[in-house]
Order: sequence, then C-alpha cells, then structure tokens
Amino acid sequence: MSRHQTLIVAGAVALASLTALAQQQQPPPAGTVVMKGRAPVNNEVLKINLPKPREADLSNGVHLMVLEDHRVPQVGFQLLIRGAGGYYDPPDIPGLAGFTASLMREGTTTRPSAKISQDLDRLAASVTVGAGLSSPFATVSGSSLTEHLDTVLAMTADILLNPSFTEEEIARYKTRTRAQLISQRSNPGFLAVEQFQRTIYGDHPASRVSPTPAALDALTRNALVEFHRAHYLPDHAVLAVAGDITIAEAQRRFEAALSGWHKGHTAAPATADPAVVSGKTVLLVSRPGSVQTNLIVGTQAIERTNPDYDALVVANKVLGSGPASRLFMHLREQKGYTYGVGSGLSAQLYRGDWQASMAVRTDVTDPALTDLLDEIRQMREVPVPARELADAKRSLVSSFALSLENPTAVLNNYVTLWIYKLPADYWDTYPQRIEAITTADVQRVAQKYFAPDRMQIVAVGDAAKVTPALKKLGDVKTYDAEGKPIVP
Amino acid sequence: MRRFSRLSGALVAAAVCLGAAAGPSVQFTDTKLKNGLRVLIAEDPSAPPFSVAVTYKVGSADERAGRTGFAHLFEHMMFKGSENVGPGEHPTLIFNYGGSMNGTTNQDRTLYYDTLPSNQLELALFLEGDRMRSLAITKENLDNQRNAVQEERRLGVDNQAYGRTFERIIDQAYDNPAYKHSTIGSMEDLNAANVDDVASFFRTYYAPNNAVVAIVGDVDTQRTLALVEKYFGRIASQPAPSRPDLREPAHAAERRSTIDDPLARLARIDIAWLIPPGGSPDSDALDVLQDVLAGGRSSRLNEVIVRQKQLASNAGAFGDENRGPGLFRVTATLQPGKDPAAVEAAVYEEIDKLKETPIAEWELDKARNNARRNAASALGSTLRRAIMLTEYAAFYDDPNLINTRTDRVLKVTAADVQRVAAKYLTKENRSVVTTMPKAGPGRGGAQ
Repeated sequence: MSRHQTLIVAGAVALASLTALAQQQQPPPAGTVVMKGRAPVNNEVLKINLPKPREADLSNGVHLMVLEDHRVPQVGFQLLIRGAGGYYDPPDIPGLAGFTASLMREGTTTRPSAKISQDLDRLAASVTVGAGLSSPFATVSGSSLTEHLDTVLAMTADILLNPSFTEEEIARYKTRTRAQLISQRSNPGFLAVEQFQRTIYGDHPASRVSPTPAALDALTRNALVEFHRAHYLPDHAVLAVAGDITIAEAQRRFEAALSGWHKGHTAAPATADPAVVSGKTVLLVSRPGSVQTNLIVGTQAIERTNPDYDALVVANKVLGSGPASRLFMHLREQKGYTYGVGSGLSAQLYRGDWQASMAVRTDVTDPALTDLLDEIRQMREVPVPARELADAKRSLVSSFALSLENPTAVLNNYVTLWIYKLPADYWDTYPQRIEAITTADVQRVAQKYFAPDRMQIVAVGDAAKVTPALKKLGDVKTYDAEGKPIVP
Repeated sequence: MRRFSRLSGALVAAAVCLGAAAGPSVQFTDTKLKNGLRVLIAEDPSAPPFSVAVTYKVGSADERAGRTGFAHLFEHMMFKGSENVGPGEHPTLIFNYGGSMNGTTNQDRTLYYDTLPSNQLELALFLEGDRMRSLAITKENLDNQRNAVQEERRLGVDNQAYGRTFERIIDQAYDNPAYKHSTIGSMEDLNAANVDDVASFFRTYYAPNNAVVAIVGDVDTQRTLALVEKYFGRIASQPAPSRPDLREPAHAAERRSTIDDPLARLARIDIAWLIPPGGSPDSDALDVLQDVLAGGRSSRLNEVIVRQKQLASNAGAFGDENRGPGLFRVTATLQPGKDPAAVEAAVYEEIDKLKETPIAEWELDKARNNARRNAASALGSTLRRAIMLTEYAAFYDDPNLINTRTDRVLKVTAADVQRVAAKYLTKENRSVVTTMPKAGPGRGGAQ
C-alpha cells in the first residue's frame, strides 16, 4: 500500500506552482484535492455482461427493440418518430411540433383530455408525447404495471392516431403556455441557454430552445391537424420496450395496438449541419437584480458519428465532466467561486456543440471566467498526465456497470446504435476503444474543438458590474431579458 | 494501512426480516454493532452495482440559534478528508472508479450515499468508516466549503424568482425555531460558523450510535458485515444527543403576508397547513389526499384551477414527512392578470369539497396503484432501497416499512381522507404567502 501522496491540481501551471511549494515544504493551497492513496481500491474493471435487446420489425415498418427484465412487474416503452420533432417545424410557426405533441395528449375523437388523464392516473400509468424544439424526433413514451399494459397500449394508440385537437383545448393550451413563456424569462439559466444556442447555431433548428409568443398566437387547428398527418408516420420510427415482457409478447401486443398506423412510404427525413460559426462572440444578457453571473462558454463541435467522438468524450471527462474533473476541482473545490461547474458534449445527427457552464457570485465573474478559459487553454497546450488520463478512462468504462440496474438505460444505448447506425458491436468494443485513446488524441481534439478563436461566451447577470470583465475578451453585445439588443 | 485488520467485538443482534407476503419484497439483515451502529444489508445479485447509504440523525432542526445552515455546511466538510483520506479524495475515488455519490441534508437527517460496481465494496465502506471515525476538522476546509455553500444559496434562493418565498412560509408557519428556518441557512449565520462548532457537532452527532448504514446490491452479507465491523467497529460511541423539541403549539388564527419579488414575473400563492409528524396515524390518509389534490394531470388542482378555470399556469400540493410537525403546502402560479384572492378562494373551494364529499372510487384506486407502483419501482434501484432502509430505521425504528408501507396506504378509506381534510385543512391552521412580481428596471411589461 503506497504512502505516497498525490496532489491533484487543476492544470500544469498549478502543478508547477505546487512543485515550487513542495520545495518550500509548504502545504498545498486550501481546497486542493490530496490523494493519500490509502483507500483499498480494486484496480480491475468489473467484468459485466451487457444484456442485448431482441429486435424485430412490425408490419408497418416500426423497428422494435425489447430488453427483457422481469425483476420488477412493470413495462416502459418509448416510440421515437423520426421526422415529427421540432427540427421539422415550418419556419413561420417555430414550436409547431411541440404544440402538436402536447395537444395530442389533450383529447382523442373518443376520449376527452380529462378522461385520458383520469384513466391513466387511476392505473398509476403514464403516456406522454413530446417533441423537443430542435430534435428530429417526437417521442411517445409510456409505462405501467405489467397487469395494465393492454389498457395503456390501447390508449397510447388512440392518442397517437386519433387526436381531436379541439378548439377548446387549443385555447386552454395557449393560455397556459403563454404564462410559461413569461415565467421562464425570470430564470437566468434559461436566458443563458437561449442566447448560447442562438450564438452557436445561427438560424439552424438547433438554435431554438422555446417557442415564441408569436408562434403560439399563430397556431391554428389546421396547422396541428396537418403537422400530425404529415409527420406522424411509422416508416422511420423505433420502438424501445424494456421490462417485464418478452419479444414475442411485445410484438403481438404492439402489432395489435398499432394496427391502424399505416406506412407513409416516405424517404427518411434528412438533417443538415449548422453553418460554421466564424469568430468568437461575447454576449451579455442584462438581468437587473442578479447576484450571480450565469456563464456558458463553448464551440460548435461534432456530430455523433464523427471519428473524434471517443477522444472528445475522454477530453471532456478530464476537463469538466463530474466532480473529479479539473473544472470542478479548480473552480469549486479550490476557489469556491461556484456551487457547480461542468462541461458537456451534445452530439446529434447534425454537428452539435461542446460547452462549459457555471453560475458564480457577481464579484468573482472576472477571475472565474479567467480560470475557466485557462483550464480550456491548458487542455490544448499541455498534455494530460498519464495517471489523470487513466483515471478518466477507467471512470468512463467502469461506470457502465451502474446502468445495468436500469433496463431503460441499457436499452437507450441500443437506441443510440439504431439512430446513428453505429456498428452492432459498438458497445462490446467500447472499453477497448476508450482504453486506446492516448494523451496525444486528447490534446489533438482539444486543439481542434476547444479553439479560442471560435469560442462563444454568454453571460447573464448584473450588466453594470460584469461588463468590464467581459470587455477584456472582446466586443460585448448586450441584450435585455426579452432577447432584444440593448444599444449602448 | 491494515490498522483495522481484525474483527473486534461480537455482533450484538442480527435478525433477518422478510417482507409482507403480498407483492415483491426486500429481504434484509438488521444488525447492531457494539458501538450502536445499526447495519442493514439486502443482497440483490440481479445487477452488478451496490449502494451504501449512511443516514445520520441530525438536520437543521438540531441547529442552535445563530447557526442556521450549519448541518448542511457540515455535510460539505465530510468530503474534505479524514485520517486516511485526503481532502476531496473520497469523491475523486468514487468517480474515478466508475461510481457516483453525494450527500444531502434536510431538517431531520443528513444522508450520504455511494453507488459503485460490486468489486469496490471495500472502498465504499473504508471511505464512509474513515470519515465517521476521524474527520479532518480545519479552518481552511471550513472557509473553503463556506464559499461553496454560499454559492449554493445564491443559486437556489437569492438569484431565483420565488427564492425567498419558501423561507417566508416556514418562518410564518412555525413558532418553534426547529423548523422555522431553512436548511440552507442565512449568509450571516454561515459566516459565523467556526471550527469549534464543527468539532462539537461532529462529536455529538456523527457518532455510530446516531447513524444507520444500509448496503444493498450484489454483495455477500457475511463478508459485508465483516467489512463493516472492520471499518466502523472501533469507532467510539458517544452519549446519545438530546433531540430537539419539535412540538408546535396549536395556532389560533390564520397567518398571512405578501412578498414583493423583483425577480418574479407572475404572482404566486402558497398556502401551508400544519400536519402531524410522518408515521402518524393520519399520515397515510394525508398521502392519499395529496394524490387526489395534486397527483398527475387528473388531480383536482390541475383539472379545476389550471385547466377549467384557467386561473393558474400550474398548481401543486406537497405534504411533508417530517419527524416533527410538517406542512401540507399548496402552490399555484397565477395566470397573468388574475387576482390572487380569486385563486386562493378557488383553492379553498376544492379543499371544502374534500371535507364535504367522499373522494371518488377512481381516486382511491389511483392512490393505491401509485403506492404499488412506487414500491415496485424501488426494487429497480439499489440506491432507493438503501436510502429507504436507513430512513425508515432512523425515523421510525422500523426498516421493514419498506415492505409494509404500501399495505398501510391500501387500507386508507374515503372516509379517512374526508376526516383528515376536515381536521387539518382549516383556516386557523393555515399560513398564506402571496408573492407579487415587483417591476424592476429594464423589464418588459410582463405582468
């Protein structure tokens, strides 16, 4: 058992200063993580057998995946309908896919909204329909105790195929949603994401994070009926079922429930990459009364099938994913600037983004942003030490075991395979692929995707107090909380 | 390193509890070490992770005047190292070896938990045992985490719309100081906390006889018990801490106030009634009542206040399960232009219906099926089971509630719900807070 103490610090500059400190026999700075190395760790990655779903095609073309798990007497399912998500909103009604999904649940030709809610809640079952504003997919998902599955599937099919879109429910929905559109503007996190997505994606569908009041006003019954008719097609849909059911049972029951859902004989709906963002932006949303600054820093990055994906996942793990990452250790544990800081990768069918985010008290906005950007710089300029890289890779591979108690999580990995057309053995070879990532790979992708000349910076806070810090990084464009530019 | 290599002391009591006959159940052993630590172990080889939960019987209700927020600040100190673990080493090891972990504090308890692949059982028990035995108490660690906690308060309270509303509700609804202040505490009191407070709090409350440990997952019970004995068995017990008096005098009249909130865009109304401690004879009926009022889209508040009358954009209700008197809270965010008094009156109309008319058969079914579904879902998560076992043991001295709780809900009748509505949801027993948006500079005319 080693008595050697390892100091984990954020980045090479800190490491250099620590070496100097060690020579002077001084303790490390407060908040530095110290590894005493006395804990009884098991260095072997636990061998696991990843269960595999059984697969079949329904007669209408829906691809069925079933992961059996009989530990708990319940079944969950998720129907992903490609072409029905907000990605395919018409330009004049951004949010129409989301409106359609929400209103499908508000009544069918034979069941009023309240009856659907009552019947489902009575069984402690759920059926929800959703369509993200930038997603290519609409999702119909549900769950129930096994004994209630047939009833729930019959209702699911009714909601999917026979929505009534009554004027009364449309009016109610507009009233509720209008209030939510007002309310969300009080949330600084929402304001930051709204501007960041616009900055990264321009006019690409991925720029949208919320419908507009104008789109809500423009919504008509005809638009809903037409969107539902044209986009809710089985041709390119996948149905993922996890829980207390066999493939044969699932095939029989869903085939029966969805027998009225017919092929549209359409081509697979396409997606396109966003235009490349040239240059960097520094954008400030003025939020009077803020005692914190919400910050998002990031770049356009990669699509899910990009060969750099694994290396970028590892780079992101080292830099900002989780409490063992550099950003958390430095900005939260060492400096105490923030309660939480982290970074993440959003890789889709189209080119997505990489971003780091945090909320810091107003008066440390300048040093916190400086430290954040410096951590990103060190990823580009300084090779990640071997031990830190090994820790990150082990963490990624080992944590796979945790997902095995949740069949839906396991199945989602296979849905990812299907959506992105990844090789059948993709998850079997995942540990080896991660293990093969080198220090040079990490530095290469950091240089490529964490490039300072393409870094977009969005801040939400007290404009008078934080503008000087932001001006050091470039010209600052200032907006109000309604999203309108403020002319200085 | 092998300073705890030999088993010390016999196990005082060990018993195997079997669940109720109906439905899936959780089988576990229930052991008390000589030093008073209660250990609950449930084997489940069906998936490769395991979870450890450690519940300490201390929360913000135990805080003395001038030290609000201390129990939670202390929770942060528990990640800053101990004799054999460096500052931050615990979370770093857990995440580096593929696990997850966290800590959480409320009025009544402080809970720590770790989930890891099953070959890291010894790691988790070593880490939890070392900090229970030998926490590193330094001013540097305290100052460092004071900053993080103050950012947590800014993030969750001071920089959010309606952030101050909750603190106003509890301040108004309680006379007893135990639950009158929030767990996050005040900036002033957080600044006042010192190293002596940390040392005394640790000695008093973080003793093995004031804690319950549960381990659930792909583990072997005998080996796990031996490891628990190895890493926790030599931690000295302490005199039992005195428990705060949580009793709340009966209120004679309704309490009301209004807050101006410059960050809010829409008015909100919050109504809180005092209810008995969790585990009381009326608690299960209050659970059902909550389900009827606010469970799912079919709930009365959603169907009537939000959908039909369109008075609010959302409305919910939540009943506390505290060791002392809790609050049953109804919250509604108003539609723009609606009168808070009209929304409040509409809520009372629904409350009066509960008192006057028995709930429908389908509403009882809904509550019963929800209870069954929740019990079934817990079986899919080692962490949920571990947490439930420790909390039921710590709060009610009955970890087997994990198996019997559902049956208690299934026995609730419509008459029970009507009776508890009439008993607790009264005018004298309620506290009302209205939060009004206050137009600030640079804001569009949202209201």
